[in-house]
Amino acid sequence: MILLQSPSRFLLQILQDRVLSPDKGVDIDCQTVEFDDVRYHIQFSTRNPKVMVLSVALPVPPPEAVLYDGLPFGAIEAIKMAYGQAVQILDPPKDGFDLTMKINLKKLPSDEEQRNALLVKIASVREVVLGAPLKVLLKYLATKTVAPDVDQLVALVHRPNESFFLVPQADKVTVVYPMRFQDSTDIVLATSFLQEFVEARRTAALNNAPSCMWSAAPPLELTGAPPETLTANAGFVTFVVFPRHVEGKKLDKTVWSLLTFHAYVSYHVKCSEGFMHTRMRRRVESLIQALDRAKPDAEKKKFVQGKSFKKLSLKETSYT
Amino acid sequence: MDPTARPAVVIDNGTGYTKLGFSGNSEPSFVIPTVVAVNESFLNQSDICRNENWAAQYNAGIMADLDFFIGEEALSQFRSSGLYNLHHPINHGLVDNWDTMEKFWQHGIFNYLRCDPEEHYFLLTDSPVSSPESREYTGEIMFETFNVPGLYIAVQSVLALSAGYSVPKSDMTGVVIDIGDGFPHVVPVVNGYVIGSSIKPFPVAGNDVTQFVLQLLQERGELIPPDESLEIARKVKETYCYTCTDIVKEYNKHDRKPEKYIKQWSGIKPKTRVPYSVDVGYERFLGPEIFFHPEIFCSDFSTPLPDVIDMCVQSSPIDTRRALYKNIVLSGGSTMFKDFHKRLQKDVKKIVDDRIAASSARLGLDVKPQPVEVNVVTHPIQRYAVWFGGSVVASMPEFYQACHTKEDYEEYGASICRTSPIFKGMY
Repeated sequence: MILLQSPSRFLLQILQDRVLSPDKGVDIDCQTVEFDDVRYHIQFSTRNPKVMVLSVALPVPPPEAVLYDGLPFGAIEAIKMAYGQAVQILDPPKDGFDLTMKINLKKLPSDEEQRNALLVKIASVREVVLGAPLKVLLKYLATKTVAPDVDQLVALVHRPNESFFLVPQADKVTVVYPMRFQDSTDIVLATSFLQEFVEARRTAALNNAPSCMWSAAPPLELTGAPPETLTANAGFVTFVVFPRHVEGKKLDKTVWSLLTFHAYVSYHVKCSEGFMHTRMRRRVESLIQALDRAKPDAEKKKFVQGKSFKKLSLKETSYT
Repeated sequence: MDPTARPAVVIDNGTGYTKLGFSGNSEPSFVIPTVVAVNESFLNQSDICRNENWAAQYNAGIMADLDFFIGEEALSQFRSSGLYNLHHPINHGLVDNWDTMEKFWQHGIFNYLRCDPEEHYFLLTDSPVSSPESREYTGEIMFETFNVPGLYIAVQSVLALSAGYSVPKSDMTGVVIDIGDGFPHVVPVVNGYVIGSSIKPFPVAGNDVTQFVLQLLQERGELIPPDESLEIARKVKETYCYTCTDIVKEYNKHDRKPEKYIKQWSGIKPKTRVPYSVDVGYERFLGPEIFFHPEIFCSDFSTPLPDVIDMCVQSSPIDTRRALYKNIVLSGGSTMFKDFHKRLQKDVKKIVDDRIAASSARLGLDVKPQPVEVNVVTHPIQRYAVWFGGSVVASMPEFYQACHTKEDYEEYGASICRTSPIFKGMY
């Protein structure tokens, strides 16, 4: 798995199970947490078997990003457009959450493929809600215009108390991420990962991808931003998105990828650490085998990981 | 929000299945088989040409470390394409292969639970017979790779005990019989501490019951499609098996009223799409019977489970024995057979009563000793008792102080993970 998937696996599992067995079932009342502090609370009671209630809590917004009623700009319209009749927004949302939706299982489309697609969309509620303002801006890009009454520099919620910046223009949108990590190893790995990322873009096969740059200092586009946002211990990443990246089906994928960029980098940093551990363990194993050879015959164990010593000596020479 | 305000992640790693979820919930979010399918075609190259030809290996193996699946997807990928090899990281309750275990956790956290490990405290479980070094390795992987802020490694038996309590104020004393897929153990726990020297293993597990049921069905000549035989036997076992009180009477009951006792299992052959049906008769009660008479299945072990429980309690300190008999807790999927606890209670009580009667007859006492109360506790969440216990423990406020934190790890090293403190809130 290279990219983080959009639908929440747990929500999708619960929804699909519920749809498959509509008559029997037990009460469900589960709270889950996703990366970047997004919380879900899904409830189902057998007394009301045609309805499921899903509440979503969003990350704490930083001061420069603006939320309307606790939800990003355009979120409610996006939900209505994506889900249609099957979902009803409950106002006010449940205590501790920012959005509560009532899913009416009777109103799902009867065609199995469409129903599955709608369930996947419901499980991707995070993308719909948090990505709403980004989608609005990118839609304008697809039509090569700029949205009216939008500032030069737009800040959107990325993680708790952190945001990323957009500079929308008629022919392109520049997206800037200040990257911050907590652990010192992570910072070093992330910096080299991002620099490799930029290098990889230069290979010929990726010419159609949005161009990306990395810099340790805040880039020029951020000159108007408040100073606290300009500290980033793993540098700044800039993407330039063109209209061809947001036409038709690509819009959703682009929105999701841009929305969860930090989580993506963090995931790959951890995978690299895991991979290095694997290689370290293999090395340690081979060194231990070498040490075992040095033991006098009386002490030698019966087996050394099942490898014969002849094979070991061949491997030994290849490392020197 | 700092990590102590968020629910902790509870992961119960078992030999057969891993249960993943967040604390505060009553059941795990995911129950997936503990299996990893790895694409190993690049491994052989990298061992030989690690220093030379780096660019070629880079291009060939560029995504190779991410090319693996876990759980159900692993099983279906393994069946459908020949590229993947299956690995079981946990055998008999102990982690064998740390590489695949790390991969398993990586996918479990990022792909299934989809949480950021830096933001949650973790509760992992460990077999009561595992070595302190394996806990160190676990801690090392968790703190180094995933950067968790805090980690608590709990013993599975103690968690199963805390799951069985309906009364909040009970002390953590009891015998835990954990029969899952791996190696079942009878573990005495006193005041939250496991008495290591009295742990008794029992070689018959859920897998063996499935094998036995399959063997009986095949011996009788039932037609079962061979590639799915274990799956079918497992489903038959879970749907129809029950525990009887007396084998001879049960045989008679079956013979006298076959239409009441013999059930049908029907299915469709995957390859030919032909429906078939299998009669299930004596297997219904003979399956779970192997816990009470292991010699009908394996020839080298013949101590029935009630005897093993009794031996375990007798080998524990004398002042704990009454309390241990009073609280025998079952956990694990294979203890869910109907009436399993009744039969177990009856058998253990018989052994205990016989012994007391024999000793008072031998000594000719006038004063009869107080009868020993034997109680086998069963509750609806037995299947995930360990996970549920973990969820309960991780939602207590003292949990966060009892965890090993990252700062401690960086100060003292992985050896802090060798033991995890039992805290007052669990009482």
